[in-house]
Amino acid sequence: MAQTNPPFLTGVPELLVLRMLSGREMYGYEIVKAMRLVTAEAIGFGEGVIYPVLHSLEEGGALKARRKSVNGRERVYYAVTTKGKRRLEHLSDEWKRVSTGVNSALNGNGADGDPEHA
Amino acid sequence: MREGQFESLRLELLRSGVTPVYVQRTILELEEHYSDLESAALASGVDAEEAARVALATLGNERAIATAILAHPELLTFSARYPRVAQYLQSAATIGALPGLPLLFCIEHRPELTRWVAAVGLATTLMGSVLAMLNWLIVVPF
Repeated sequence: MAQTNPPFLTGVPELLVLRMLSGREMYGYEIVKAMRLVTAEAIGFGEGVIYPVLHSLEEGGALKARRKSVNGRERVYYAVTTKGKRRLEHLSDEWKRVSTGVNSALNGNGADGDPEHA
Repeated sequence: MREGQFESLRLELLRSGVTPVYVQRTILELEEHYSDLESAALASGVDAEEAARVALATLGNERAIATAILAHPELLTFSARYPRVAQYLQSAATIGALPGLPLLFCIEHRPELTRWVAAVGLATTLMGSVLAMLNWLIVVPF
């Protein structure tokens, strides 16, 4: 295959975070809870690793963060920017394309690894 | 939560060249996240010790968190991302600053230098006056 597909391998956390934040701003713990809920806990990970993803997206301009004091707790809320919305659309399209291909393979097309049978 | 719960992680991140502002943010967010997890565990009816254990396990171990952060080069300082370029720039800046160092020294020690110049000027004036007077006494015929 000539075309590599990095988002397939590395873009899933980004995609999920952007999707969770597309509705409203949230802080880290809320994002993780929402992700567990909508994915029916299909994706397992140490929750602390969400922060480098959030910070990386913020650094790239896809998210903006603001500190808010809520009930004496210092929260960092994240919201999607216009650039983030475009990134979400791009990643969603990419994911749909890849998952369609994988589903097609799982459903028997191209059996025995022979592309001639696809 | 134990005091300095994530201190070793904080130090590791700083040592590894993560931008201090992100280190501070990460630690703050991890502490808040830990508190939320601990509260949720306590609310489910477990004792404090078990709640702390569950919270830490859910958050993930510090090594995994550090590895995840270091996998994002955009969160690192310039010198950690481009160590060779930073080294060259630092050398160039040092060489460039060398001629300016005496000037900076003078600016920094302005009061002392002013007193020194005044003292030398006064001494020179006095010495010049004495020499001129001696010269006049020798030269003037009585």
